[in-house]
Amino acid sequence: MEFDMTKPIPETQPWSEKFWEGTKQGKLFIQVCKDCESKIFYPRKFCPECWSGNLDWIEASGKAKIFTFSTAYSMVEPKFMDELPYTIAYVDLDEGIRMMTRIVDCKPEDISFDMKVEAVFHERNGYFLPYFRPVVKK
Amino acid sequence: MSKHEIAIIGIGEVPTRNMPERTQWDIIYDTCMEAVRDSGLHKNDIEGVISVTPQAQPTIAAELSFGKLPEELGLKGCKDAVSVNAGGASTSNAIRLAEEWITTGVAKAVIVQHVTLHSTIPLIDQINFFAKAGIDLQWEYPFGTTYNIIMGLMANRWMHDSGWTEKQMASVVTALRSWASRDPNSIFYQKDVPSVEKVMASDLLNTPLRKRQSNILGDGGCAMVIVSAKDAKKMKRPAAYKLGDSARYFSGTCVLRDFKKVAEGFRVTAKEAMAQAGITKKDVSLWNCYVAYPMAHPFIAECLEVAPPGQGGQYFLDGRMSFGGDIPWSTIGDAPGRGHTGSGVSAATYVETARQLMGKAGERQVKNCKYVYQNAAGGSGFNQISTIWGKEIK
Repeated sequence: MEFDMTKPIPETQPWSEKFWEGTKQGKLFIQVCKDCESKIFYPRKFCPECWSGNLDWIEASGKAKIFTFSTAYSMVEPKFMDELPYTIAYVDLDEGIRMMTRIVDCKPEDISFDMKVEAVFHERNGYFLPYFRPVVKK
Repeated sequence: MSKHEIAIIGIGEVPTRNMPERTQWDIIYDTCMEAVRDSGLHKNDIEGVISVTPQAQPTIAAELSFGKLPEELGLKGCKDAVSVNAGGASTSNAIRLAEEWITTGVAKAVIVQHVTLHSTIPLIDQINFFAKAGIDLQWEYPFGTTYNIIMGLMANRWMHDSGWTEKQMASVVTALRSWASRDPNSIFYQKDVPSVEKVMASDLLNTPLRKRQSNILGDGGCAMVIVSAKDAKKMKRPAAYKLGDSARYFSGTCVLRDFKKVAEGFRVTAKEAMAQAGITKKDVSLWNCYVAYPMAHPFIAECLEVAPPGQGGQYFLDGRMSFGGDIPWSTIGDAPGRGHTGSGVSAATYVETARQLMGKAGERQVKNCKYVYQNAAGGSGFNQISTIWGKEIK
């Protein structure tokens, strides 16, 4: 039995390309509605609040807090087995949107609720996935 | 008086097992024929057939969607057939459609049926389907998430906010399996009920979820015959009358699901369904909850105000929801107790709701079972449907 071991890349839509272009440059873009000023995640063709097509992008700070997390030790798809253990999280960006991500550059046991994290970008087949790591105190 | 006008008058079910030699059509024959016989009707009285769409089984899904069932079973009076798909919420919608057909005169008697045969789906196809269904392919899947991880994300936050302990969460499995061990249709029938310690000693899959807190896939199927409440009353047979139905949509994408909105949706739909039925929570004889994972049970127990805030986990640990406890709860043991049959666990839960109200639940029979709360949800939890069923029409 042979499993497809290709790591997935995001299945994009024309209106989300800008987000992924941003991550290639190390930037986290958030879609905004110029009519009702909503911040939109994930990116849409029309604003989900007012149905305006008058949409634009702002660059997010890349700073966030962990809302919740779960560290996987087994029973993931074969294509992700080589990365175990890894931590999936929902993070709340300072700009007020919530994303799913990976928490990296720290031990799973050091991850906690409300931990401050910042975006780092992980390359996979030409796409740069926004992962987050603990904010390093300077 | 309830605005709903239907009743389940016949049920049929096969044991949930991994039995590849038992084909999908074997199960369909057995469950539908049993349900029709149980209803007291003749096969040719069935005028409508509604199938719950089997997940990850394209051949049988197409056969059912394109009308093969009435022909195969020789339902000569059938006027129409259809399949319904909303994942775990399919059966709720199949019953709603049956209600529409019955109240508008399309059909007098309708079969709602479900079949799933996981054991013949190639492992690769199972993995491909369950890895992606209900998980966003752009914003979630590339990060390596799974259904188990989605549950872990929710459970971790709930435990953080409510103070539920690992021991309390493990005790839910013990409670659900205490019912399942007494259910001839469960994959765990007559099997040892795992202790809290045994659940906690099982392998950690992803925090805080352990192996014994996840689900085993199984094959299964069931069927119900539904008629108007008026006809059910005339027939003077045991029946389960639909009395209330309320729903809320949350989100298709897991990460967009607002935890507070979900809790409110669970709470409000239960209240609305009870209000339609003209009852309060004190009248409910059985909380027949379907939330797929054991870790979600303390959450729904608190949303339904069966347990006070922060006490949901302790109620399970105290054995109050176990067989013999004072709060009859998920008497087939939900998916962790029954074996997960894809979109079929909610179908089996509806059959159990009817079975309890009809007084046919054997060892698991809830005494004086008069009103049942039953919920269902689809996908990774995109919605919540709360229903109330009664032994009699109000």
